[in-house]
Amino acid sequence: MIMIKRLHKSVGVYIDMGNQFLKNISPEWMWKSGHYSGSSLRIGIPRMFFYYIYPDLWETFFGELGMEPVVSRPSTRKTVEKASQISETEHCLPNKLFDAHLAEVVGKVDMVFVPRVLSTIKNHLSCPKFGPLPDAARADIARGTEVLSIDIDENKRPLSKTLLLLGKKLNIQKSKTLSAIKSAFIAMESANKKMVLLNKKKGKPRFLLVGHPYVIHDNFIAGPILSKLESMGVEVELISFADDTPAKSYILWSTANKIYHKLNTLSSEDYDGVIQLTVFNCGCDSMMIDTYRQLVKDKNVPYMYLMVDEHLAQSGIDTRVEAFIDSLRWRG
Amino acid sequence: MTYMAIPNIGNYTIALATAVESLGIKAWASTATTPEALKLGIAAAPETVCLPLKAHLGHFIEADRAGVEYAFMVNSVGTCRLRYYRHMIEHILKDLGLKIKIFGLGFDGFKPPIVRHFDPGPITFLKPLFHTALKIKVIDKLEVAAWRTRAIEITHGDTTLLMNKLLVELSESKTMARTRAIRKKVAGCFAEIPVDKEKKPLKVGLVGEISFLRDKCLNKNIEYILGSQGIELRNFFLLGEELKNITRIVFLNQNKRKYLSKVADRYLQCTVGGHALDSVAHSIHCADEGYDGMIHLCPSGCMPEVSVRPILKRVSKDKDIPILEMSYDEHTCDVGISTRLEAFADVLMERRKKQPARPSRGEGN
Ligand code: SF4
Repeated sequence: MIMIKRLHKSVGVYIDMGNQFLKNISPEWMWKSGHYSGSSLRIGIPRMFFYYIYPDLWETFFGELGMEPVVSRPSTRKTVEKASQISETEHCLPNKLFDAHLAEVVGKVDMVFVPRVLSTIKNHLSCPKFGPLPDAARADIARGTEVLSIDIDENKRPLSKTLLLLGKKLNIQKSKTLSAIKSAFIAMESANKKMVLLNKKKGKPRFLLVGHPYVIHDNFIAGPILSKLESMGVEVELISFADDTPAKSYILWSTANKIYHKLNTLSSEDYDGVIQLTVFNCGCDSMMIDTYRQLVKDKNVPYMYLMVDEHLAQSGIDTRVEAFIDSLRWRG
Repeated sequence: MTYMAIPNIGNYTIALATAVESLGIKAWASTATTPEALKLGIAAAPETVCLPLKAHLGHFIEADRAGVEYAFMVNSVGTCRLRYYRHMIEHILKDLGLKIKIFGLGFDGFKPPIVRHFDPGPITFLKPLFHTALKIKVIDKLEVAAWRTRAIEITHGDTTLLMNKLLVELSESKTMARTRAIRKKVAGCFAEIPVDKEKKPLKVGLVGEISFLRDKCLNKNIEYILGSQGIELRNFFLLGEELKNITRIVFLNQNKRKYLSKVADRYLQCTVGGHALDSVAHSIHCADEGYDGMIHLCPSGCMPEVSVRPILKRVSKDKDIPILEMSYDEHTCDVGISTRLEAFADVLMERRKKQPARPSRGEGN
């Protein structure tokens, strides 16, 4: 019992004790490490992966619970430089950026939030790289900081249940959690709507940008392309991932299947071209790109493929985008 | 005569060939991907896919060129790229205009399409299956004996020669009785190799992606290189063990994965996919058993294996066991690999000298 009393003052002492008893009675992060300072806890959210998969959800949820969410700043060249210093060299670019974003919030907050996103829609799976994210964070970059984590697995329970569980982990009243979930879902819905269109210009050529949500919305990866397209005055639609009911196909990865579904139902009336944005070392895309390309080609829609790596240069992107758009003009 | 190409799973291909022959057809296979096949695969596949797929694909293209009509491979399984292998390979082969027909082997019904197609009848079919299982067991035994003996043999190459001889015998064995006889003599044959009994070889565990653990061409013959440096190995891919796991999952629902999850729990609380959990769990295990080091093999960019690297690094620090990360792509050359391995062996040797008594070295088992 003495242990439990001391637990509330400073849990840090019990790191690595592996005490099964403590593990059973306290929230997961409590026995991991760190300290619990009541409601105005600062929680760090890396601006990558789940931040874009569930837009606005996390800030709203934690905010409503009375915590102070601290989101890392949008990626810049600096983020990439940091990433290449601290991250595993063979990670895909988003995973490297994730590490840099995580490092940015660690130290500024009381705990960081890294969920284990195993599946975002029923009967689908996420990229296998999402599985060990919280463990990798604990092992390396977020070591010494509390890592708050929860399994997001739609095959087991819907997101609302997951959030309820998260509230329970944080020792928060159920009613409070419930109302936080409600606001969070509303926020996510409106964010999802906002995320789709870049600039609406009647009568201009219209392009569809496809890629993983955290790729097409990341400032470093997609920023240069979007700004180039904007300066050329074309209308760009960013693929939306809000619809959770893509038709079943042979693809089990949720994002890939959503993209597949979108391209499969594409009509050449709607778009003047499809721009595929992918990142260096992305395993999922490496298997899918050929299928996507074929789908778009069969629809007779022009297709461009852009791969972004750490050494992305605006000039290179500019030339490619210009060439693509010019070629469409000649196509007539 | 009809031929069927089977994927390369190292020496176990010999056992697999027996299974295929149960269907009344001949097996077309080798125990390692050939460099030519690899080249064909690299040329035909998209650049960014992983190396095992290229090896697989190249193998089938080579088979088709040799006039083989059928091939089989695993169906969609797992959470990583492997799930899409068949789809992609079939497409590429079709685009190339090749006619080879691929059967998927997976859990789709009691009689997989491959059996339905050739329909060999239950008796002719079942017996060879038992024979296959037996051969797999013999190969497990051979592998284990070779890892041990190679490290302490007095004349370089003895073990490899013997191993090859026995493997040839095994592949020629058509009856269970002969295979049993081979199994009996394995221990004796290895005991005849002159060894340096005094030598306390370094012990190293090999973990990682399975096609790299088993395919000599892909891993650039890492077992041989390490063995001839006087390092005793433990390769964590033994097909017999793997199969035991699978049957246990089906029948007893009490498998080794659960045990592995428990071992790895402090570092990794998720199965990830592929053999990433195994890599972490085995590393922890070996560290506790007093191994001198670990080598983690994977194709470059392998999603599950690369994603657990930060965790392996932590294990390495916490448990004070060096873990060498090796990743292979199509530009990896033999010299580079052997240099790195030699350097690693030197490091381990130095460490051994500094702290001669590492705990609990399991003698002789
Ligand atoms: S889907 Fe691709 S980019 Fe996303 S985490 Fe997986 S490998 Fe990285």
